[in-house]
Amino acid sequence: MDRRNNRRDAEGSSVITANRLLDGRIVWLAADGEWSPFIRHAHVYSNADIEDALKQQIASAQDNELVGVYGVQVTVTASGPVPITSRERIRAGGPSVHPDFTPEWQEHPAVSPA
Amino acid sequence: MSHAPHSPLPVGHYAYDEVDRTFLKQRVAQFRDQVERRISGALTEEEFKPLRLMNGLYLQLHAYMLRVAIPYGILNSGQMRALAQIAQRYDRDYGHFTTRQNIQFNWIRLEDTPDILALLADADMHAIQTSGNCIRNVTADQFAGAAADEVLDPRVHAEILRQWSTLHPEFTFLPRKFKIAISGSPQDRVAARFHDIGLMARNGENGRPVFEVYVGGGLGRTPIVGVKLRDDLPEEDLIAYLEAILRVYNEFGRRDNIYKARIKILVQALGVDEFRDRVNAEFVAMDRARYRLDERIVAAIRARFGVPDFDPAGQAAEKLAQQRKADRAFDFWVRTNTHAHKQPGYVSVTISCKPAGGIPGDVTSSQMNLLADLADQLSFGELRITHLQNVVLGHVRQDKLYGLWQTLEQNGLGTANVGFITDIVACPGLDYCALANARSIPIAQKLSERFASPDLQREIGPLRLNISGCINACGHHHAGHIGILGVDKRGEEAFQITLGGAADQDTVSIGQIIGAAMSEDETVDAIARIIDTYLARRTAGEQFIETCRRLGTAPFKDAAYATA
Amino acid sequence: MPLLENGQIKDDNWQIAIEGESLPSGDVLVPLARLAEGLGRNGDGRLGVLLNAGDQVEDLRVALPRLSCVQVTFPIFRDGRGFTQARALREHLHFKGEIRAGGHILPDQYEFLLRCGVNSVVVPEGVDASVWQKAHEAFTVAYQPAVLNEQPEGFAFRRKLL
Repeated sequence: MDRRNNRRDAEGSSVITANRLLDGRIVWLAADGEWSPFIRHAHVYSNADIEDALKQQIASAQDNELVGVYGVQVTVTASGPVPITSRERIRAGGPSVHPDFTPEWQEHPAVSPA
Repeated sequence: MSHAPHSPLPVGHYAYDEVDRTFLKQRVAQFRDQVERRISGALTEEEFKPLRLMNGLYLQLHAYMLRVAIPYGILNSGQMRALAQIAQRYDRDYGHFTTRQNIQFNWIRLEDTPDILALLADADMHAIQTSGNCIRNVTADQFAGAAADEVLDPRVHAEILRQWSTLHPEFTFLPRKFKIAISGSPQDRVAARFHDIGLMARNGENGRPVFEVYVGGGLGRTPIVGVKLRDDLPEEDLIAYLEAILRVYNEFGRRDNIYKARIKILVQALGVDEFRDRVNAEFVAMDRARYRLDERIVAAIRARFGVPDFDPAGQAAEKLAQQRKADRAFDFWVRTNTHAHKQPGYVSVTISCKPAGGIPGDVTSSQMNLLADLADQLSFGELRITHLQNVVLGHVRQDKLYGLWQTLEQNGLGTANVGFITDIVACPGLDYCALANARSIPIAQKLSERFASPDLQREIGPLRLNISGCINACGHHHAGHIGILGVDKRGEEAFQITLGGAADQDTVSIGQIIGAAMSEDETVDAIARIIDTYLARRTAGEQFIETCRRLGTAPFKDAAYATA
Repeated sequence: MPLLENGQIKDDNWQIAIEGESLPSGDVLVPLARLAEGLGRNGDGRLGVLLNAGDQVEDLRVALPRLSCVQVTFPIFRDGRGFTQARALREHLHFKGEIRAGGHILPDQYEFLLRCGVNSVVVPEGVDASVWQKAHEAFTVAYQPAVLNEQPEGFAFRRKLL
């Protein structure tokens, strides 16, 4: 993980994210402790509280089959948390050049081997 | 066609034998075991990362990315079909050709990767050393073995270097990555002086090859033009001398700062004379017999390269001339997208992967399959990936061009823009890359739409436009006549423009930043004004880079920031 | 810590010189800075040198005939200088004694170490030797000559691995 992505202001709110070890996909930590592919499910921490939560999640990353756990600063909107940097907005929404490839994108049924 | 679609040896690249195939199977088994150890926790992510990178597997922004090696940019139709199969079965139906002549898949799952590597191995392909701090895929001239100006086909030596560097016991944990390029033409088409080692081959006095050796070039955050270390390295010493360079680098290259770890920094720190002295001391001390590149070794490797069985030229040239006269659009495409071949009646064709508004270097699985079919029908089953992210059919008979062009047109691959402003090189940028500061693709799309008019592009003439999404410069922005560099302005994307870069042998130069960063749309407008300035101020027949060198950057800078 | 040699885990009977203390009797590994002291030691025991990754192998040239062992050290597994040191000891200085590798090393690097002339690896207590043996047996061919002078495999620089 790139250290600069883990920068946060002293004030404000953040969410916790990671990549799944097995398929690399982005996930967000929800209030119930589950990891969701959708940022709208993410639990919003105040920046004052997030360090402890992060420490705990980083320690259990291997057990949860996660890599690169870090915090992302957000603004909270009516439709859920929105990251303040363009990088994290692209990470949350999918590549801007493939509008179909949002986190909702489902794989086609497996193509049988030729 | 009079030749069989599948000759016994693949044309243009090395044919694997059972020993090579066994090796690849063992490599797949090794990685399968490493993945299992990672999942079990026996390997930490820190320990696993270099191991997966040495099999081309990155963890990017959205998923794992797999970079598959295309040694010296050459592959055969069957291998292209295997790539199409991976795109379809394990990815989202497309792949991305890179500036290192490789292909990347953006949506790979770690748990699928051993199976993907097995599928590749069945096609005599792999992802070995496409990343990591080791010797990377050796790149070569995209017109190798075909170009009219070529003195020596560099691919045999590129293959020798590929084999020598594969799982090299001493050079797999270098201070940083290490890139080698090799060219066999006086016209440098590999940017030899922007590589850690650049080799320019020519024929020596006794008819055996000799190599000019450049070292310490590179782009990235410290762009440096490589310096000449040797003028006439004999072929038999090629491996020994490269061993000596790598040994000096492995021992003395910096390991305390990732940004100062490339060999170019070592060469700068020591000075070229001291660096050369150390290499020579190592070269003299080593057991040269062990590393001697004997003529018989070269011959044994060369014997495993297929050679095209050309048809007589017949009336091919005349037929082509008539077709060009009859169809103006076809004529333009022939002018921009073909390259002179040494065999009468043949040309090399560059298929543009840069349609207006498209993603530079991206191809779908159906396009890959089409390219494979075309290679079988028209170019002895051989395909080439260029470092400018296009595809080349190396050996096409001139009377087949018209049909080829029509097919390409129907499939979104007929753009007549090779070497023009819309033949844009772009890295994946912030849409995919974990390191990027800004997106490269959307600005490339806007520029290629802005300059889409074929007449306008021809009016502007040859122009290299390169885009990188960050200072690591995978899009080679410093080597572009016009370069665009994505930067981060407090979490928002912005772009700087560089002018005056060039990667050609005689006039190699590093582009200079002309001013403060702008937004994406401002940058597109600024480039349009830079082009207007060029068109207004050029002398007759003067290309953009020449005007840029004559006038300096000042008038272009004024234009770029005129209304911004 | 134990040693891995030829697929076997065995006890390490060498002692490592302790900073600020005089050299013990018996087989001892000294840092390069204490080489002269080691050479001047009276009595029994063999002498070896513990090289750091930044040390120059050339500095051992004169003393090498009197050394039984050289240990190359990997401060972290990604720092590959030890490979060059080991190979230089064999190829340039024709060292015939034991070369061992210590520090942070992955089993996945074992075959590279062997091909650079290393004989033994310092491994953690309780290590599973089979993982290392598996790494050693993973490949039956290599693509370049090495100081082990393996037999050619077919043509070019290919070598048969045992």
